[in-house]
Amino acid sequence: MKNIGTLSLNVIKDTARRKLFYVVFFFGLAVVALSPLLPTFELGMRSQFLKDISLSLASLFGVVLAVVLSVNQVPGELNSRTIYNILSKPVSRPQYLLGKYLGVLADLAIILFVMGLEILVLISARAHAFSPVIFQGVFAVFLECAIIAAFCLFLSTFATVPVNVFATILFYLLCHVKTDFLHNTLVKGTSGLAKVLAWPAYYLLPNLENYNISQQVGYGKGVPAGYLLRVSGYALLFVVLFLFLGYMVFRRKDL
Amino acid sequence: MSSAIALENIRKSYRPGFSRKRKTAVDGLSLDVKHGEIFGLLGPNGAGKTTTLKIMLGLVSPDGGSGSLLGRPLGARDAHRLLGFLPEQPYFYGFLTAEKGLDFYGRFFGLDPRERAHRSARLLDMVGLARGSHLTLDKYSKGMLQRFGIAQALINDAELLIMDEPSSGLDPIGQKEARDLLARLKEEGKTIFISSHQLSEVENICDSVSIINLGRSVKEGRLSELLEVEGVTSVLLRGAGAASKERLSPLARSVKESGGMTHLEVESGEVYRVLNAAEDLGLELVAVQPYRRTLEDLFMEAVRGDPD
Repeated sequence: MKNIGTLSLNVIKDTARRKLFYVVFFFGLAVVALSPLLPTFELGMRSQFLKDISLSLASLFGVVLAVVLSVNQVPGELNSRTIYNILSKPVSRPQYLLGKYLGVLADLAIILFVMGLEILVLISARAHAFSPVIFQGVFAVFLECAIIAAFCLFLSTFATVPVNVFATILFYLLCHVKTDFLHNTLVKGTSGLAKVLAWPAYYLLPNLENYNISQQVGYGKGVPAGYLLRVSGYALLFVVLFLFLGYMVFRRKDL
Repeated sequence: MSSAIALENIRKSYRPGFSRKRKTAVDGLSLDVKHGEIFGLLGPNGAGKTTTLKIMLGLVSPDGGSGSLLGRPLGARDAHRLLGFLPEQPYFYGFLTAEKGLDFYGRFFGLDPRERAHRSARLLDMVGLARGSHLTLDKYSKGMLQRFGIAQALINDAELLIMDEPSSGLDPIGQKEARDLLARLKEEGKTIFISSHQLSEVENICDSVSIINLGRSVKEGRLSELLEVEGVTSVLLRGAGAASKERLSPLARSVKESGGMTHLEVESGEVYRVLNAAEDLGLELVAVQPYRRTLEDLFMEAVRGDPD
């Protein structure tokens, strides 16, 4: 466990060195820059609109960050050969992968939490409303990013960085369209090939629309705690699955 | 004496890129490194040294064969608690200072913070980096990184040290210090496994060597035995000239003159005849000793003599 903590902490230090935490600053700038463009509704409507658009933006920043943070963890260390020095110590390969993943997860948690605070401050400044419910949305974004990061880390055990980025973007898109586009292809599609291709994608990929709760947070009172618990379990299932697949590839990989 | 490292008939081949044909990197290699000795693994580029090292460290899985490190099977993590490794051209996290870097590597061995701090300070002093310990590693020169690499390999007070080119990037003073350090570590009872291209370094410090070529061992054993040529004696005389060369040549395997000295390789049975002739010629005897070839001679002979 100590080894995993040491490796995770190192990922966080590396993120700080690469100045990736500055992304929260740019996120704040983006939200502040966008807010004057919003229609001049009454205060209540403005608060709802701000929550919706800020969460969508946080989701976009979060997913991009999840990919940027995860994609180079293994290939980067292989290229720089720093991995040899780690794995020659009493560090097992599962510990190494898990340490890297938890480090990325900690980065995402820190960054998304600060983004949530920024949204909170912005809404209270521009719409004079205190909306801690925004953190429900931020938490959902975090869960989505956790799945994306696990998938990306799994691919990074064997794919090159450009292939990994392309595949992760495709994964993200498919996971968001599975409830309508893929479902329609399966149910109403006429092409046999399309159905064959859509089947595994529909049944095996996670439904990332579960984590898009900006509407409920923006225009309603959020989602019930039970829902968040359910989608947390759902995310954990896929994270474990992707990390396990990553381990299966990585455990016998010649370095 | 028991084995610190034992490899038995290790084989490994790769498929380069999309090629169908596999390339053999290690071809039935066996090694036996005894506890407490300094062992040198030598070979030309592409001989399979790095792959062998990676197999020993569990970074690469062999296709066949078996082996053990400190009595544990290859790849067993508990053996790595007793192991120190210095990679070739070591790369470390550039954002860490030397102090933090040693602290980072020390954590993997379960050392408490006080012990890590104590060992870091001692090791940085020992490798001559005490003054630069506050600098981040990306500011270090190649030689400084090598020194740091040696320090991190020693952070766990390892029983077995595996070092890939330990003197690489070091200036002559650094090379001398590294050699002295290895000798001291041997005195402390540690086993040291070195992979190196620097034959003079290996000749100076190693007890045993294995010369490999094309993934196979072509020569191995105690260095003193490998370098000694039985039945041949080396004679060194002060004085030289055409007349002496003419007189001594029929008595010796070879006669070389340089700097006013004559160096002869003589069949051991001919030594007295050579000494008598030297006395007649008025040459002064400087030394008579068993003939030893250099490791470079042995290396060239072993690699060139390999039928493949």
